[in-house]
Amino acid sequence: MTYMMCLFLFGLVLGLVAVASNPSPYFAALGLVVVAGMGCGVLVGYGGSFLSLVLFLIYLGGMLVVFAYSAALAAEPYPESWGSPSVVMYMGVYMVGIILVCGVLSGGWYEASWVPSDDMEEFSVFRGDTGGVALMYSLGGGMLVISAWVLLLTLFVVLELTRGMERGTVRAV
Amino acid sequence: MTPMHFTFSAAFLLGLAGLAFHRTHLLSALLCLEGMMLSLFLALSLWTLEFSSINFFTSPLLLLAFSACEASAGLALLVATARTHGSDHLKNLSLLQC
Repeated sequence: MTYMMCLFLFGLVLGLVAVASNPSPYFAALGLVVVAGMGCGVLVGYGGSFLSLVLFLIYLGGMLVVFAYSAALAAEPYPESWGSPSVVMYMGVYMVGIILVCGVLSGGWYEASWVPSDDMEEFSVFRGDTGGVALMYSLGGGMLVISAWVLLLTLFVVLELTRGMERGTVRAV
Repeated sequence: MTPMHFTFSAAFLLGLAGLAFHRTHLLSALLCLEGMMLSLFLALSLWTLEFSSINFFTSPLLLLAFSACEASAGLALLVATARTHGSDHLKNLSLLQC
């Protein structure tokens, strides 16, 4: 179990190195999918299976799909994958930086266990994370209304941003 | 620093570095921003799971909702840029006339 958690944590950092080294957006979106998958694995390892499901559905299935087909707007004839020299240089710098920072800050590395070990004390069908999310519909109802209002507002923001003609933004001078 | 804490802090800083040292495309900067949001989601969920404070499980979900708003605004700007400037290259977003 510790091995799986180690794999997920390494995959998270390496995937984000692959995204941050700025290859062509096709490959950066692929790297972000890998990072989200590893993050889901980490959450499941800590017992937050509902939050992991939410991350998969909403983040990967909702937002990243939109990013993936917006990558068509960034089309270029020779996309730079992770083998091209400048991207490899960025990746090397980030990896060296991560290893150096890890070496400096490795003080409390062995303080906590990599995997929680006291989750199954009682037999209960009440999962902590599902019950906590249900609070958003009962006591946190005001915040739910506010976030729904903000999402509706964002719809109108997007409409105005992409209006074009004379009323849109980013007008070519 | 425990490995978990180091991981999401490193993920956030890597996303920030990728956003700051952007190269050609606006979309790759937006993807680094999404990576930062993902690391914040993981940080909030792991904090709540570690301390077993059930009340705070709503915060990662609200973060996800607001990050969806931000991603859609960024993508709308990308579409506007691609429509007016032809591509999303950041070199074209310059008002210099010389």
